[in-house]
Amino acid sequence: MQTTVPDLSTITNEIWTAMFGIGVEPADDGADHARGERVVTGVVQLTGDAEGAVTVQCSDRLARRATATMFAVDVTEVSDEDLSDCIGELANMTGGNVKSALDGHNELSLPSVTVGRDYEVTVRGSRVVQRRAFDAAGDTLVVTLLTRDRA
Amino acid sequence: MRALIVDDSRATRAVLRRLLHGLSFDGIAEAGDGRQALEELSANGPADVALVDWNMPVMDGLEFVSRVRSDTANDVMRIVMVTTEADADHMVSALEAGADEYAMKPFTAAVIRDKLALLGVV
Repeated sequence: MQTTVPDLSTITNEIWTAMFGIGVEPADDGADHARGERVVTGVVQLTGDAEGAVTVQCSDRLARRATATMFAVDVTEVSDEDLSDCIGELANMTGGNVKSALDGHNELSLPSVTVGRDYEVTVRGSRVVQRRAFDAAGDTLVVTLLTRDRA
Repeated sequence: MRALIVDDSRATRAVLRRLLHGLSFDGIAEAGDGRQALEELSANGPADVALVDWNMPVMDGLEFVSRVRSDTANDVMRIVMVTTEADADHMVSALEAGADEYAMKPFTAAVIRDKLALLGVV
């Protein structure tokens, strides 16, 4: 198990500022998306000395704003394919920066993206070691690090 | 100047394309993985610079760089790894394989511009 715990707040703020020009403000740790809200989740898995996953969950509205920025199009022109690509890359960047802060040798999976309402993301055998909620220009963003204990 | 962007994320390719266009690159090709990028080089010859992601399906960036450097016809092409892989082991592996520079995601326009300036391609 890693002895270093990455700072999800710093990592998240750096990524959102650099890629989207959107500063993120810490919200109450318990802050979450509203029931029934359409939420986009990007996930990358960590394997190696630290086993686990990093998830990035944002509202559909925030995801579309971020995607529109990366593709330089109007929000109304964002396709579901574009949205999935953008949030997958966002999870990849977040996971990559988390991985860099962990001890030992680790590998990162390619990202996967889920879109829906009222669902829960779980990674079998893992537990949440850090969860950070943010206010991103009025929308909720949640970044979570899960690790799996070795048998 | 001609550039080749190799990244499985279309969103990141779009960002890099705009950035390079703003630096007066007039020929910008894209590939979604290393194999597609090799096909692009085979069809159109080496670009002045390639911006290459590491983690991609089919063929990753490290293998792409190794294959590019195994053909002396590509010696003129500078290679910048643009990746989330930030640890020293990955950097050393990329440089040993033949990458010329290394930039971390998330990147800013200034960082990419500075890397390209170091290589003399802007």
